[in-house]
Amino acid sequence: MRLVIARCSVDYAGRLSAHLPLATRLLIHKNDGSLLVHSDGGSYKPLNWMSPPCTLTVEEPDDDQREAGVVELWRVTHAKTADMLVVSVHEVLHETAHDLGLDPGLQKDGVEAHLQKLLAEQIELLGSGHALVRREYMTAIGPVDILARDADGGSVAVEIKRRGGIDGVEQLTRYLELMNRDPLLAPVAGVFAAQEIAPQARTLAEDRGIRCLLLDYDAMRGLDDGIPRLF
Amino acid sequence: MKFQVNRDVFADAVSFAVKLLPQRTTLPILSGVLLRAEGDTLTLSSFDYEVSAQTAITADIEEDGTVLVSGRLLSEIASRLPNAPVQFTTEDNKIAVRCGSARFTLSSMPVEEYPSLPIVDGPAGILPGDAFSDAVGQVSVAASRDDVTPVITGVQLEIAQNRLSLVATDRYRVAVREIDWESSAVAEGVTALVPARTLAELGKIFGHSAQIEVTIVTGGDRELIAFSADKKTVTSLLIKGNFPPVKRLFPETVDNYAVMNTAELIEATRRVALVLERDAALRYSFSVDGLTLEAIGSENAQASETIDAHLVGGDTVVSLKPQFLIDGLAAVHSEFVRISFTKTDNPNKPGPVLITSQSSKDQPGADNYRYLLQPNLLLR
Repeated sequence: MRLVIARCSVDYAGRLSAHLPLATRLLIHKNDGSLLVHSDGGSYKPLNWMSPPCTLTVEEPDDDQREAGVVELWRVTHAKTADMLVVSVHEVLHETAHDLGLDPGLQKDGVEAHLQKLLAEQIELLGSGHALVRREYMTAIGPVDILARDADGGSVAVEIKRRGGIDGVEQLTRYLELMNRDPLLAPVAGVFAAQEIAPQARTLAEDRGIRCLLLDYDAMRGLDDGIPRLF
Repeated sequence: MKFQVNRDVFADAVSFAVKLLPQRTTLPILSGVLLRAEGDTLTLSSFDYEVSAQTAITADIEEDGTVLVSGRLLSEIASRLPNAPVQFTTEDNKIAVRCGSARFTLSSMPVEEYPSLPIVDGPAGILPGDAFSDAVGQVSVAASRDDVTPVITGVQLEIAQNRLSLVATDRYRVAVREIDWESSAVAEGVTALVPARTLAELGKIFGHSAQIEVTIVTGGDRELIAFSADKKTVTSLLIKGNFPPVKRLFPETVDNYAVMNTAELIEATRRVALVLERDAALRYSFSVDGLTLEAIGSENAQASETIDAHLVGGDTVVSLKPQFLIDGLAAVHSEFVRISFTKTDNPNKPGPVLITSQSSKDQPGADNYRYLLQPNLLLR
């Protein structure tokens, strides 16, 4: 990742033409070859850019250009089309490069995993006397989020979702059917725990004898909404 | 089965029996209403394992029998029948309803599969219907609607020495009202946690009854409460769990309070709150010159208004959510209202305000309704 702050003008040629007059801008040259031209505004959106696959070549300016004040000419050529992005650099104010390594990617199910961890720590939310057996209890068709025991020692299988829908109830039903065949676990009661549960999913769950439990994520992780309560 | 019944009496009975039926149920037979004709009495009942309703009316019965028909459909039909006696006859598997020149044929559902209604026996207490209805209206508004905390979605009924107290809370406010309760047999200290939605319906159903008989069945496998009056009986399962001890949040004495005209304060609050963003609070400044309401926190519009207030004690400023205040003000049922201020040592949590009735500027109200409200933090 190479970051350059430079006074430059930019021209795009190819399927469309565009010109950015001389100004100070941030140039981002990424490891995949792409180049992005950013102003100090417009959030994530660059003024102009070239997507990969493309190559960047740095050329010496010709005499006319040198007379106009250009010190470097960056030419980014797209590998598949004839599109070209030309950056005429007049002055480099700052330059830095870092090796960022491999990115782990965006974790969309982070909340669900966190809810599982929090519920395991606060297992009493299932009801008084409940005890954790283990998280990610493995069955032949996949792991059940939480296996617990209730106050009377009966097994309780918990499926955790951010938004509880019909599919989540079906998933828990499959686990319960399988777990209830295990003489060491049976009878296994089901708990469908979510931040919000669709009315249809709740009806289906309750019809199948599965208890629904709403989880208050903010309260579980100790976040306060700033509005004082009586207790 | 064959019987004839008065149209108005029948329509009223059906409407009562289906009022508490769930909108959608996974067991279709539970959407039915059971009609049982025996001797000279027609009994109508409904039950969904949580709530049951049963009533009996006098009918001209030619042939005894029991049928189960769709409750909503029967209720809609009954409310639109012409003004003439209603005749019911079973024909094969169908039920024919005749009224004046109108004819209906309804399918019947299997009676054998219908669950039997809970049997209510045990010591009962007596409540006056109007006071009960009043109290339910005053208290149930404060019950939580959030299923995250099922225990506080109910109204707690507590029995003590010829008094029944109703308590509800959603953690931002607590409403309490005590009414007369006559019973020799029900033990003191018995409590019942009744779903607020069901109780609100009960308040409407029994509002005109002189006396309501209340039976609380606890300690068994199914804990339930039964209300009956005028040959109508409703039972409801109780919510399990321990209701938080919210009564101790009320201050014992307060010496700083203000008295306002209730209607004036409600009107002013509604007006000034028009410019507020959703969920924002209003600022109430009490001083010897009166009460000033200010809507702040919105960039595009501001509002303020001053109304008369009789202040006892020092000047006070509180920030209150308008809807929460109006809920309390609308429930005091008196011309004037007293707002009392409590002190606190916690800088992050203002002391709660207490709303009580006031029959005149300097005479406290006769009832014992109390509404405790937690103010928001002052923004400036």
